[in-house]
Amino acid sequence: MKLSTYNFLTSMAIKGVKVGFPLKLTISKKELVETEFNPTFVERLLPKLDWSAVYGAAQVAELAEDIPAVQPESIADNEQLLQKLHHLLFEIDVLEGQLECPETGRIFPITDGIPNMLLNEDEV
Amino acid sequence: MHVEQQQQIVNNAKKAEKKRRRCLAIIKSDCDVSPSDTPTIYLAILNVGLSNGLTEERLLEAAAQTGGSISEVAMLAGKSYCFLVCSTLEDSQLVFTGMHNVATIGQLGAVAYLSYVQALPALAGKSEWNKPLPSGLIVLPDFVSEAEEETLLKSIADDGRSHEGTLKHRKVKHFGYEFLYGSNNVDPTRPLDQPVPSACDFLWPRVGNFSSSWDWSKPDQLTVNEYEPGHGIPPHVDTHSAFFDPILSLSLQSDVVMDFRRGETQVQVKLPRRSLLIMSGEARYDWTHCIKPKHIDVVPTPTGSLTTQVRSKRTSLTFRRLRRGCCNCSYPTLCDSQQSKVPQELSTTLADQAVSLEQQNVHEVYDKIANHFSETRHTPWPQVAQFLDGFDTASVVLDVGCGNGKYLGCNAHVLAIGCDRSQGLLAVGRQRGQHLFRCDCLNVPVRSSSIDGCISIAVIHHLASAERRLGALREMARVLRPGGRALVYVWAKEQRRNDKKSAYLRQNKAVNKERTTEQVQRQKQQQQMEKQPQDHVALPVHTNRTEFQQQDVLVPWKTKDEQRTTFLRYYHVFEEQELEKLVAQLPEIELKRSYYDQGNHCVIFERKIQPRP
Repeated sequence: MKLSTYNFLTSMAIKGVKVGFPLKLTISKKELVETEFNPTFVERLLPKLDWSAVYGAAQVAELAEDIPAVQPESIADNEQLLQKLHHLLFEIDVLEGQLECPETGRIFPITDGIPNMLLNEDEV
Repeated sequence: MHVEQQQQIVNNAKKAEKKRRRCLAIIKSDCDVSPSDTPTIYLAILNVGLSNGLTEERLLEAAAQTGGSISEVAMLAGKSYCFLVCSTLEDSQLVFTGMHNVATIGQLGAVAYLSYVQALPALAGKSEWNKPLPSGLIVLPDFVSEAEEETLLKSIADDGRSHEGTLKHRKVKHFGYEFLYGSNNVDPTRPLDQPVPSACDFLWPRVGNFSSSWDWSKPDQLTVNEYEPGHGIPPHVDTHSAFFDPILSLSLQSDVVMDFRRGETQVQVKLPRRSLLIMSGEARYDWTHCIKPKHIDVVPTPTGSLTTQVRSKRTSLTFRRLRRGCCNCSYPTLCDSQQSKVPQELSTTLADQAVSLEQQNVHEVYDKIANHFSETRHTPWPQVAQFLDGFDTASVVLDVGCGNGKYLGCNAHVLAIGCDRSQGLLAVGRQRGQHLFRCDCLNVPVRSSSIDGCISIAVIHHLASAERRLGALREMARVLRPGGRALVYVWAKEQRRNDKKSAYLRQNKAVNKERTTEQVQRQKQQQQMEKQPQDHVALPVHTNRTEFQQQDVLVPWKTKDEQRTTFLRYYHVFEEQELEKLVAQLPEIELKRSYYDQGNHCVIFERKIQPRP
């Protein structure tokens, strides 16, 4: 699972959960996958992302010093930051780990790079 | 010159020997009959048989010329060889030397090759002709005299119309009502100017003995078929809802052999010239019938063997009575009325069992067939790819039910994320480096209003209730940002548009080449599936590459491994406008476009900017 995907995931489908976001991420095994950097792509993607989850992922991935806690006003000219965001969002591949619902503590395991968000019938 | 002639003889003998060995190999593999190096009373005629036009008479005539006495002839249907049994070994040797490489009984005067064999094939004598006729099938020979035959032919020719319809393999003409071949039905509101000719009236008192049990006493529809040698009619059952029981067919001008079939059971029936065929009850409703397009028929001889008969021009008069309503026969397999009925209880039961039905007949099946399924899903459908191409750089696109993720790489300028329930299919996509997570389409674990585009291709037809299908659309609507667009494809019940078959139907090669029909395939499928236990409500098993008979069906998937296991996937195939009606139930979205694409109903909808309060 790339951390860009993580940015969209929520546990709100669980009965009684209001927001379910951001999920608490734990990485037990990850891999670095080099991918082509396209600054325009990252810049245009940013408005669609939730910054708190971007920053949260950076902390878990031990890249917190690369990413500011608060989203900068303008980022278009900051190619260095765009590069770092690209690395965080597209080059770190979580192979094993888990996602935890912030409200209920329900664990969603990440196995072989795929988060299993499937809920049981009685949870929804 | 002398040397050349000798060489020629040697070459001929070599050629004959080569041919002999090849034919013997065929016979050995066909019917497990081995050659004998020493003379026996069994002789195989290696290269001439019923399939290349040999008649029993012609064979016996040639054998008689050798002076040898024959006790039995075994002509095998569809084979280019046959067998003789001689009275004694001496007779056998006489026939062998007198015919082998001598008797010109082959096609275009070709010479016959013979061999001694150890026995007759086990099949010989067990022909299609010894089987009982289908129940309800009656052939009345000499039903009309030659003079009456002439009168009838005149009366149908003399109405000022030529044969208006020329089908692929025959000419047709209709009286009373036109039989419409596209719908396999008649339009009862549009009678023809020409009723069934009154010249036919003398026929009905003659069938009086039988007609007391019929639905009708006088037909109101007549179809005249004119067959040239080599013409035929594909296997079919006369549409149940179109006509009452029985169907009558008068054969004029020449004999023909008609093939009847129910599942694996096949029966051949000779229809002599001037005979009346009555198809009633089971024969009318549960057997298909056809005339194979060929020039020579194989027919039984009085001695119980088979021989060939060259066809000549034949005209058949098929008399029927319009039903003008639904059929409620007790033979549902081929009944169009009963097959298309969707009982209200069924959808209620389906809704009750939806979760476990989907679990067993969708999720578990996809996990088991994931790899094989994935191999068959590689080319993106063009109109889906086109939809994906329409998104700006860095748009976020979610594929709900992405399968092996074949659409995730379509547009390299977007962030494409896929989700599916099947772990097996997700694993395939993962190997290709795609962004994936596992979930159910009824609970998509994605932030609301966060996605620019959504696709769901061939997914929600696996949901077993209207409420759940709507629920899946509601989830897509929820994750879309205002102004975001979704494309949804579902399988259509109707696999034909503007008389054009969908790709799915077009791949039914046997039907397209008129080697068989959908009805026959359905019968076979039905028989195969009777063995399969079903845990849930009994759903009909669909026959692949044929038109859907019902909306809620189980579609077989046959694995490619040695076991050839058949898995059944549940599908709800959509009626026209059904998908649009679901979309209309969600006030937060607006239908932008709907279309039909290769057997699928498709919609594009948009999340409204200002949701209705």
